[in-house]
Amino acid sequence: MVFTTVTNFIRSRGPDEIWRKRRIFKLAAHFQGRKRNCYSIAIKYVHRALVYATKGRQLKKQDMINLWETRINAGCQQHGINYYTFREALSRCGILLNRKVLADLACWEPQSFKALTDIAQERTQQDGLNVIKADNIKASGVLTRAMKK
Amino acid sequence: MAVLKRVQQWATFARIWHIYDAAWQNPFESAGVLKKYLTGLYKPIYHPMNDCGDHIVVINSAEIALPGDEWKKRVYFHHTGYPGGATWTLAWELHEKDPTMILKKAVYSSLDKNLQRRYTMQRLHIFPDANVPSDMLKSISNQIKQLRLVPKRLDTYSEEEIKSFPKIYDYPKPYILK
Repeated sequence: MVFTTVTNFIRSRGPDEIWRKRRIFKLAAHFQGRKRNCYSIAIKYVHRALVYATKGRQLKKQDMINLWETRINAGCQQHGINYYTFREALSRCGILLNRKVLADLACWEPQSFKALTDIAQERTQQDGLNVIKADNIKASGVLTRAMKK
Repeated sequence: MAVLKRVQQWATFARIWHIYDAAWQNPFESAGVLKKYLTGLYKPIYHPMNDCGDHIVVINSAEIALPGDEWKKRVYFHHTGYPGGATWTLAWELHEKDPTMILKKAVYSSLDKNLQRRYTMQRLHIFPDANVPSDMLKSISNQIKQLRLVPKRLDTYSEEEIKSFPKIYDYPKPYILK
């Protein structure tokens, strides 16, 4: 809802019916049919739309998380490591990258992502997580902090 | 590696052709794997609105293996829309009519139910045997790994292999073998 001036915004809260309804009609401007023209119908649908908007803020975040996880999963499968193992190994190595960054790396920087999976596989082996098949491990020359100790 | 070539990805958006041998495979388990390749879920560039799915050529669909007594118990329902137009077809009957149909239906129902589903199915090419048109074979560049080992049938072993197979004990002389 955009009010170009402060005066219009303040008027819309007042007792003046036209300005009160105007605020609702502005929100209903993109609806179809009587939903946008009749106040008593418009107000119902505006309330509904605001509820959807509230819920949508959470859903959008969840959708993005799902997409990132799918992409990281795809990247992990190319290098023969499981998503959960990958995340666990990275956190053990102190590489605290979130889903968004990992997904971007998998998509745009495949070489950097491969370096991360190499580190994860090396760490998985050292810690004896024993979930990676031996023929998938090709990493060599990877140093993790656990090796230094 | 050169700075500019660091992020170079050849043929990222190309459609890849895969081949999958369905002999002795469970079609309902295979459907999950085929779905991954058909919709492009295995690519890091995946997005539901991104048309990044691949083609799959499935061969030997006549030799699929259903688990347990599914051939006898699994029923495919169809309704013509007219009164009394319902039919229930057993899996073995359907397989006799069309040996590609069970796998096709399994993949179709495993895909997401949206407008893209029928177009995604067009990228799945199922053949009952190994006779694939040569133009399709030319474009294939990857083989999808089978989910289960194909067991070797006893009649495919040669005489030598059977004779050299380690025995626990020898049959006594008077023992009559059929």
